[in-house]
Amino acid sequence: MKDRRRRSSRRTPWAYFVFPLPAFVLYVVFFVIPTLQTVQYSITNWDGYSANYDLVGLDNFARAVTGDALFTNAFVNNMKFMMVVVVGQTVLALILSVLLVRNTKTTIFLRALYFFPTILSSVSVGFIWKFVYDPNFGVINGLLGRLGLSEAQSSFLGNDDQAIYWLSITQIWFHAGMMVVIFVAGLQAIPAELYESAEVDGASRWQQFWSITWPLIAPAMSIVVAYTTIQSFKAFDLVLSISGNPPSSSLDILSTRIYSSFANSEMGYAATESVLFIAAIVAITFALRRFLRLVQRGES
Amino acid sequence: MTGKVLGFGIRSIYAVLIVIPLLVVLFGSFKTTSEIFKSPFAPPASPSLANYAEAFSGGSLIGAFANSAMITTTSVFLTLFLGSMAAYGLSRIPGWRGWLLFGFIVIGMSVPVQANMIPQYVLFGSLGLLDTQLGLIIINIVVTLPVSVFIMGGFMRTLPAELFEAAEVDGAGPWRNYYQIALPLSAPSIAATATFLFVMHWNDLLYPLLFISSEEKMTLPLALLRFQGEYMTNYPLLFAGVVLTSIPVVVAYVFLQRFFVAGITGGAVKG
Amino acid sequence: MDRRGFLGVAGAFGAAGLMSACAGPGSTSSGAGGFTTDDVATGEVSFAHWRGEDRKIFKELIADFTKVESEISVAQDISPSDDYEAQALRRMRNGSVGDVAPAFRGAQFESFVESGFFVDLEPTDLTSRYKAELITAGSADGVQYGYPYQIVFNDPIANLDILEKAGYPEPAGDWDSYLDMLDKIQSQGVTPIAMPGADAGNAGQLINPMIMNLGPTEDMCAKIESGEYKLTDDWFLEMLRKYGELGDYVQPNASGTAAEPAQQMFATGEAAILATGSYHMASVRSLGAEFPIDIAPPITSDPGQAVYLAAYNATFILGINSASEVQGAGIAWLEYLSRPEVAGAYADGTAQFSPVKGVEYENPDLDRVSSWLEKDILLAPRYQFTDLDMRAAVEDSCLQALTGTEPEKAAEDAQHIVDQRIDS
Repeated sequence: MKDRRRRSSRRTPWAYFVFPLPAFVLYVVFFVIPTLQTVQYSITNWDGYSANYDLVGLDNFARAVTGDALFTNAFVNNMKFMMVVVVGQTVLALILSVLLVRNTKTTIFLRALYFFPTILSSVSVGFIWKFVYDPNFGVINGLLGRLGLSEAQSSFLGNDDQAIYWLSITQIWFHAGMMVVIFVAGLQAIPAELYESAEVDGASRWQQFWSITWPLIAPAMSIVVAYTTIQSFKAFDLVLSISGNPPSSSLDILSTRIYSSFANSEMGYAATESVLFIAAIVAITFALRRFLRLVQRGES
Repeated sequence: MTGKVLGFGIRSIYAVLIVIPLLVVLFGSFKTTSEIFKSPFAPPASPSLANYAEAFSGGSLIGAFANSAMITTTSVFLTLFLGSMAAYGLSRIPGWRGWLLFGFIVIGMSVPVQANMIPQYVLFGSLGLLDTQLGLIIINIVVTLPVSVFIMGGFMRTLPAELFEAAEVDGAGPWRNYYQIALPLSAPSIAATATFLFVMHWNDLLYPLLFISSEEKMTLPLALLRFQGEYMTNYPLLFAGVVLTSIPVVVAYVFLQRFFVAGITGGAVKG
Repeated sequence: MDRRGFLGVAGAFGAAGLMSACAGPGSTSSGAGGFTTDDVATGEVSFAHWRGEDRKIFKELIADFTKVESEISVAQDISPSDDYEAQALRRMRNGSVGDVAPAFRGAQFESFVESGFFVDLEPTDLTSRYKAELITAGSADGVQYGYPYQIVFNDPIANLDILEKAGYPEPAGDWDSYLDMLDKIQSQGVTPIAMPGADAGNAGQLINPMIMNLGPTEDMCAKIESGEYKLTDDWFLEMLRKYGELGDYVQPNASGTAAEPAQQMFATGEAAILATGSYHMASVRSLGAEFPIDIAPPITSDPGQAVYLAAYNATFILGINSASEVQGAGIAWLEYLSRPEVAGAYADGTAQFSPVKGVEYENPDLDRVSSWLEKDILLAPRYQFTDLDMRAAVEDSCLQALTGTEPEKAAEDAQHIVDQRIDS
């Protein structure tokens, strides 16, 4: 957009380093150091309560990567879950926010309505959706039965191959409204004049979307995608409230797996899983950002 | 024209999808247990306020509500303040230094809470911050700083540098640029962040559960949890509790959203 | 949603529990054993427990107790069960909460004993008030540290009206007739078994009666966990095959059914048997069930060969906190609870069973089912697992077999996970 200015040649006032300072002090003391301690535990066999433990080097990592079917299963589930949620939630939220970008009474109401599930506790959401998916009393099978489509009835969360996808739908229902708010904020930051002049040039709404909205929504898009990715890795509350503890293996994701390791007094190993978890999120977030940048450049 | 119809259709269908499950909760709070099972989606046959009366008398929801309101408001405000300062400072530090510091704080988003809560617990214990509201406020700030800096920082980086440079020529310092230019222009992203923080802080259960042990300091999710523990099989009562505790949040959200809109349209310079 | 769901939201419990445990030994090691200070029965007793649904009945009992013991007051301190599971040690440490407190059977009880939180109850002479064979879960190394105060049967419960129509006024006592019974129920157009397959905590209970007569020893689950027994052993495969046979008699989509809908099916007579446990009798009644209920453990043996007729469990074990400053008053409260009429009132008020001698039940369900307490019953094997992942894998193999997976395949898959965990 802009040529690189030779800003770096000017000295940066020291004040700019002071602004982040309070945040950094809190962050380092209460967040970074505890996290580093976790990394430290990851090469031990600490059980979480004994006074003593041994250093085991990279044994924990080797076990997680090569010798733990439960970890592999959780990882695969988490990837499927993330893919569906990131794509589904982002597309849905973008469509809805384009439809709700103007501030009228209806749109403000709808935005609030869509947002509503987000403020519910995961326990409530889990319970509601257990009802929705229930094979015997639930709304979906009930509806299918009434439509004479009993063949299509399913046990939903009880179907090991599909369970994780049904869970994805619940997650989207739960969080899409939040993404709509972020997209709407982003869309409203786009100057109206751009659309007005495009209108004058006779561009269709579809053309306006691709030539103005899509490139200029990039900052909001990267926020939404990053947030959704991370959120879908952390859907801990929801999984446990919908599937119990420990969750059935078809719904086990990385955060619940780490928790199970804690519960089994395998602190060192749980720390290892956490480190791998962090690495996976960083790698995927980074890859998605590159991908998004490519897509948006290609289109604009 | 077809576009309008399609848009209307999509919005309505999604609204229905949102509303149905919520109605189950609302209706359910006026029903008996077996009625919930027999016809979960139907309106209550003979609505009764008994569940609400019991929810009020049975739990310590009111005190917990006050605690949650205090902790959430303080946490959101402080996180926005510290986060926007950091976001501003980092976006004004040119070159790799700014990006490196930005990345350092933003990478915290990727750390699952399960990963560092044990060391955190030990640390807060040694500082005497367990079972205090200050401890909760600190942990709220710390855990949500990365995402706040990410959202607001990402936005502030898109503000044209010329604005600040022009102001500097007029004699404005970094501090004045912060509250006269960066903050007002970032209103949309600050509003989005605020919404986000509000929800996260309001609903957080993990840390209150870890940190708070005395009844008079319980937050609302924790009180609800106790409430649920006590009335485990009584879904109608549980639903009444959920409805009661959600109403204020809904009202707050509706109010905040109007405030956001005002903030956005009130921004002096557009884009 | 069951209690377990809440654990999910909580998340940190395990960790909190670990932390409290980690500070445990050492700091209180001197507390173990006898009573510390004044044994005078005065003061305010903090009575911790995690059964919120018991608040009302305990309130009545406390009122009755303090009428006589005017020097003592008792305050209930109720936590959700998962919360309690993790935080009890931490909260009880300083003695301000939980002068009298419960422990879960197994790991928590053992950690209470190890950390010296429970005093030896022998000097109280209360042990003789309990049925000796029902309170083994509260003793360690020959010392009685606590009394199981509530007994449940972890066996399916049955609608006796439907069973009688099927020609079985008493639940069948061997495998062939059990299947015959299910057949006859099915031919009446009733679902024989309601199975909450989506709820591991409840669906997992069925393994107790299924394994109790097939396991080579009483500690079969502990030996699976240690690797001594394999899931691919013949006896385990036989159990899985029998699970497979039961699969013909459960409701459609059983693997996706949660506990509450399964209860509803049973309560309305849509299903004849609820594959959970006696702890659901009260909830089923509150859903409107009016038929007579008994437990109906599936007996896997040939006629007359069964060693055990049912599996039972002690939900919680009451003990006295060694850090308490009002132990005398705490013991007075425990003594009161150990009276047959009080234990009976508690049992009736909660619709569970009591190990106290001479208890008479007014609740007809309890009265009927309590006769099982006199039979040959086994402490539920499921709770021998200390590794939750192994338990989940084993229980999953049962559910897989139930829903049609080849027993050999289900067993191999689960054994693979068990092996990996033993190796680690």
